[in-house]
Amino acid sequence: MQFSSSLLENAVTEFAKLPGIGKKTALRLVLHLLRQEVGEVEHFSEVVARMRREIKFCNRCFNVADGDICSICANSMRRQDLICVVETIRDVIAIESTQQYNGLYHVLGGIISPLDGIGPDQLTIEALVNRIQKEATSELIFALNPNIQGDTTIYYIQKKIQAFPVQVTTIARGIAFGGELEYADEMTLARSLQNRLPVERYVAGR
Amino acid sequence: MELSTQIGPALSRQPKRLSVQQLDSFAAGRLSCSPMLFFRAISLLQFKNYTNRAFEFNEAVTGICGNNGQGKTNLLDALHYLCFTKSYFSRTDGHAVQEGQKGFRIEGRVSLNEKQEKAVCVLRETGKKEFSVNDQPYDKFSHHIGRYPCVIIAPDDAVLVTGGSEERRKFIDSLLSQADATYLQHLISYTKILQQRNSLLKSFAETGQRNFALLDVLDEQLLKPGQYIFEKRKDFLISFLPAVRHTYHEIAQQPEDLRLVYESQLLENNLAECLQASRQKDLYAARTTAGPHRDELEISLGAQPFKQIASQGQRKSLLFALKLTEMDVLKEEKGFPPLLLLDDVFEKLDESRISNLLQRVCRDNAGQVFITDTNEERLKKHLDDLAIAHQIITLR
Repeated sequence: MQFSSSLLENAVTEFAKLPGIGKKTALRLVLHLLRQEVGEVEHFSEVVARMRREIKFCNRCFNVADGDICSICANSMRRQDLICVVETIRDVIAIESTQQYNGLYHVLGGIISPLDGIGPDQLTIEALVNRIQKEATSELIFALNPNIQGDTTIYYIQKKIQAFPVQVTTIARGIAFGGELEYADEMTLARSLQNRLPVERYVAGR
Repeated sequence: MELSTQIGPALSRQPKRLSVQQLDSFAAGRLSCSPMLFFRAISLLQFKNYTNRAFEFNEAVTGICGNNGQGKTNLLDALHYLCFTKSYFSRTDGHAVQEGQKGFRIEGRVSLNEKQEKAVCVLRETGKKEFSVNDQPYDKFSHHIGRYPCVIIAPDDAVLVTGGSEERRKFIDSLLSQADATYLQHLISYTKILQQRNSLLKSFAETGQRNFALLDVLDEQLLKPGQYIFEKRKDFLISFLPAVRHTYHEIAQQPEDLRLVYESQLLENNLAECLQASRQKDLYAARTTAGPHRDELEISLGAQPFKQIASQGQRKSLLFALKLTEMDVLKEEKGFPPLLLLDDVFEKLDESRISNLLQRVCRDNAGQVFITDTNEERLKKHLDDLAIAHQIITLR
């Protein structure tokens, strides 16, 4: 791609570093910014820079926060004895969008995978164990991706907290809502059969 | 809540073997109509030496003839792609792309139990591979394995007899995976966890920090798939190995003291005990030294290892015995004969052996067969002599 301005070229190169953005999309975004008022663009870059500069991670659950404690942990209306363990901040947002969960979170920052150089020490597992001890948690809900590394992480944490009187659960796995049985893969279908539900509970949607 | 019913196809412990007479009558009844699994056509785009070419198959037996380098084996490999979603000859899909091109497409028209299917394998320019049957793409390619059961015999397969234990495990795994989808899923899980475990052991050795709690967890995760793989192999080999021996004697047509023995650490202790016992060794070696990934199929002739004393002919006979018995097992498990791909198998075989082999795979088996040969005359003559209906594709 040929540019008549190195300023333009630099901006395009920076945008193209973002995930899912290629050179052409980057150019489209930059040209869009070029059409805006100077003040608007300054506001835009200031918002981005400030987000990165000032954002904090919650001391308690490692979710993103404006202060030392995130808004979820600070909300006294939420159940303080319920912790949902997730891999990333995106998972927190996904579960919050369901509006079905009224407990707290714990963001691990990844899952255990020695192949990728990620061991328990790279994650917030120790902090989680300390939390459970201090906060008298009654239930720990694992909401991790259903794969082998997810299982490794669950088993590992479960071992670490065996001594505490906390109930450990994991989200259900099975046929997707609105899915067709015919197209479900055999493993999912087999698992759904193994963990089938009494109809009263199914109909009540609980 | 426990389910008592079995999920997934289970291998019967003792595959029933059809007698020769039964096989004959079975074959006679089948010859008139096409087999339950039949590849009707295949079209290739930018695949190896084929720029854009289509083939149609009308007979149960297809001979592919032509000089060296004309693409006989490539055509077989394309069929292999449709059965296993990958090449038999190279590890990377990139090697299957025609030189100077990016990406390829293989499309096959297949009839399976009298239903027409369209199977498509595409390698995109980006290097991403897609596989679909009837325009329904697979999320996981492993779900396709076993839909079109297939046995291939190629010249390089001699390593199955002469090579390391890995080759024989691969052979058994390929067979069991086609017969039992659960086996394949457990095998995939086992391999993934094993990689994690080895990687962890390596990091122990490098950093000096040893997180035994995590090692314990990985050990526990290995148990279920590892134990399943072992039990399945054990149950299966009990009937498979004598059948291979029987086929070998049929081919050799003289008594030889061939011994096939399944060796596994798990025959004496369960996997949990094996892992526990070899932990110190594992820490020292920085990899996992016990488990079904170390299983071996020992082959000996008399008291000596087969690969050390066997002649070329004996090696070839054993290779055929293994593959032909695989064919019988798949036929038994699936209820119809698998696709058979024979690559250049006549080399170093005398005329009567060629005839015996063709008799067995083309008549008795009654499945679809593809045979490559540089010598068109020879192939034609043998097939005509046996009165086997066939089609010859000549590549030039």
